[in-house]
Amino acid sequence: MERVGFTDPVLTARDAGLVGCRSCARAWPMGTEVCPNCGARVQSRSRRSLQRVWAWWLAGLICYVPANIYPMLETRTLVHTESATIVGGAVDLAAHGAYGIALIILVASVVIPVGKFVSIAFLALSVGRISRTSPEARHGVHEIVEYIGRWSMIDVFVVAILSSLVQLNAVAAIQPGPASLAFALSVIFTMLSAQAFDPRMIWDGIEDQKAGHL
Amino acid sequence: MSDQPPEIPVRTVRASIFERASVVWLVPMATLLVALGVAWQSYSDRGPVIEIAFSSAAGMSPGETVLRYRDVDVGLVEDVSFTDDLSQVLASVRLEKSIADFVDEGSKFWIVRPEVSARGVSGLDTVLSGIYIEGTWDSVPDGLAVRHAALSEPPLAAGDEQGLRIVLNASPGAALSEGAPILYKGIEVGRIGKPGLSEDGVNAQANAIIFEPYDRIVTSATRFWDTSGFTFSIGAGGAELDFTSLASLIGGGVTFETIVSGGRPAADGAQFGLFADEGRARASLFETSDETELNLTVVFRENFSGLVVGAPVELDGVRIGEVSSIRGLVDEDRFGDDGVRLLTTLALVPSRLSLDLSTFDDPLDYFVQRVDAGLRARLATATILTGGLKVEMIDVPDAPIELMDMAGDPYPILPSTQSEISDVSATAEGVFQRINALPIEELLVSAIAFLDAAENLVGAEDTRAVPGDVRGLIGDVRGLVSAPAMQGLPGEVSALVGELQGVAEDMRAVTAALDEADLVARLQGAIDAAAAAATGVETSVAGVPELVTSVTNLSDRAASIPLEDMIEQASATLASAEALFVSEDTQALPGALGTALGEVEAALRELREGGAVRSLNQTLASAETAAAAVETAVAGLPSLAARIEELVAQAEETLAGLDQNSDFSREARAALRDVSDAAKAFESLSRALERRPNSVILGR
Repeated sequence: MERVGFTDPVLTARDAGLVGCRSCARAWPMGTEVCPNCGARVQSRSRRSLQRVWAWWLAGLICYVPANIYPMLETRTLVHTESATIVGGAVDLAAHGAYGIALIILVASVVIPVGKFVSIAFLALSVGRISRTSPEARHGVHEIVEYIGRWSMIDVFVVAILSSLVQLNAVAAIQPGPASLAFALSVIFTMLSAQAFDPRMIWDGIEDQKAGHL
Repeated sequence: MSDQPPEIPVRTVRASIFERASVVWLVPMATLLVALGVAWQSYSDRGPVIEIAFSSAAGMSPGETVLRYRDVDVGLVEDVSFTDDLSQVLASVRLEKSIADFVDEGSKFWIVRPEVSARGVSGLDTVLSGIYIEGTWDSVPDGLAVRHAALSEPPLAAGDEQGLRIVLNASPGAALSEGAPILYKGIEVGRIGKPGLSEDGVNAQANAIIFEPYDRIVTSATRFWDTSGFTFSIGAGGAELDFTSLASLIGGGVTFETIVSGGRPAADGAQFGLFADEGRARASLFETSDETELNLTVVFRENFSGLVVGAPVELDGVRIGEVSSIRGLVDEDRFGDDGVRLLTTLALVPSRLSLDLSTFDDPLDYFVQRVDAGLRARLATATILTGGLKVEMIDVPDAPIELMDMAGDPYPILPSTQSEISDVSATAEGVFQRINALPIEELLVSAIAFLDAAENLVGAEDTRAVPGDVRGLIGDVRGLVSAPAMQGLPGEVSALVGELQGVAEDMRAVTAALDEADLVARLQGAIDAAAAAATGVETSVAGVPELVTSVTNLSDRAASIPLEDMIEQASATLASAEALFVSEDTQALPGALGTALGEVEAALRELREGGAVRSLNQTLASAETAAAAVETAVAGLPSLAARIEELVAQAEETLAGLDQNSDFSREARAALRDVSDAAKAFESLSRALERRPNSVILGR
């Protein structure tokens, strides 16, 4: 769990009385509000970062509930109208033998969002606490969450593309269901939640931890 | 200094709450609010569930089949189950909340399916989308009713379609077909519902609706008639094919016209007759009015064929209605026997009587009063030709007291009386009986017998011998007259006279003054008498050839008369003629005449063979005997002639009735004239013989 390069005590910018710009990575004296180099706001730590994380996280979670209850797609053909929820649609696809597509939808729409909720909650909870997970691992988790979050929108894109393409008037039409909006919001909220998380907090107090450990 | 310390922690705490709370928390709160709001709204928007019972749920699927009101979805079938006894299908329909209060007890539900009929295709959209449930209810929210029973077919008019609801009674020949349009000048203004039987079971009727605003056209003077099918007529204007529309040609249709103005506007539930065609509909306006009909029942004891529905009902000769139904009725308790009674329902139009309604509140009262005074119904012959009957109401003065049975079911019963129909039938029957009783067969037999007898008579050898005998007699008489002895007779007589002169001279000489002149005078008288007798014989003999000719003619004509025509002769004439010919006298006449003539012949032969007159006295005596025989024989002649004359008279009488110009008649008349002439000849012959029997012998 310990990497070789980090065996020495780490000096953070905050401990050095400096603040780093997240845009141009230049360090300025503590108290600087705007980066003189690039003009970005500089903060030593995002204010109320954890609150924003939790707020977005909660909003995303709330949105995720209707996203799974309400139908995602409304398929209207000449004969009848069919509406499918996310999981129901995946099950239908699997039942029709399209296991690959079912798996993709299931991963993109269920596994990834749920994984994000869990990951963000884990990261937020681990801040300021002694964690068995190394800061490096947690930082990696944050990277993954930030990177992969946008791919959850694949389901929303599918719905958007289908509903714009399949508009054959009377014969067949696909309409986005109310769940698609909720799901999109849920994805957006979790992305914002992940973004609100200041990964620098992972490293705060690492000296203490190390000191405590060592 | 002592003031500050308590203030600082308070401010710090308060400030820290606001300061530490991020604005971002508004997002999950808003999200939560929206989510809760949506949840609450969707819950509160959920309408109630109603259950509709169908006999079958063909094509109904939960979650898809919708309930529509005016073609707008207002509900969804959530579940399809059975009633407890599995007799019906229960569809649970989630209603929209906004219309739930309107779905009250009066709501109607039915399944809309694609339907192809002569009037078009309906519900075509359901072919692809599947069936849906159509509901209709009024505009008054009366509270939700949970259980409903579905209709088996769509109702006549949706709940909101306003219009005049009437009842059409089909008259014979008019057809009511469900869903048929009611047209007015080619515009569909109404519709006919499902036909059924009227309550009294007498005729077919159907509810119909005339939509607004056309309902104002319908008044009490409106007549409806059937326009289904087509009419084809050929007249002076050429052939004409007439039908209203192709749809009504196949599916039936009804049209109407308000024929005269001034009718009262029709109210809901008004009854109208549906006539078979326009002509009858128009005619009916002047025959019947739409005044409420008065129905009476009459039970006839006799059961006659010939009384039909629609037969007129007349009161004192005024047609006041018609027979609306006829039924046989066997009711042993009521009538005391198990005979069939004719239960006739009369539909009367009291307005025909122009009753003064101030006197009679109810037209029925008028009949009650009249029945008290002896009014009775009876069957009477409407036309003799067809045997059709009518119902007549007449006053029977001495009728047994009988009151109107007001408790009759379904209508009051008017007492009946003996029908007049029996008299007419008796008369007709009597005519036929008399025709039947005519002895045609006997007449033919008599005619045949008569003809046989006539043939026998004419063909009898005796009859045939008569002319021969008569001719022989004449020949003999001629022979006698021309015989030398006879020729010589005057000579002998003169010789005798000479001898007598000699004797006279002797006598004169002897007796001198004896009255010789007296003898001569006597002799002269005798000779005169003999001469007269000879003249009589000559006269009578002169008629004989004529008689023979006549008899020949008669027989010829008799032979030429067609037997078939003869059959038509009256039997009385033939019978008497037969009696005449078969009578023994007639049969014996030729024989007797022949015998007499034979005797005369014998006498003459004897006279001739006797050479010169052996003795004039003997001869005269013999001739006298012969004459007596002739007389005896001829004695029957007058009666024969009389009977022939009688026959002729009767025959003439009979023939007088026949066609004057017919050949037969002419021939018969000629024959009769001949027979008459023959009779006259017989008569004159007999008369002459009677007068001077010896003239035959004397030849003068």
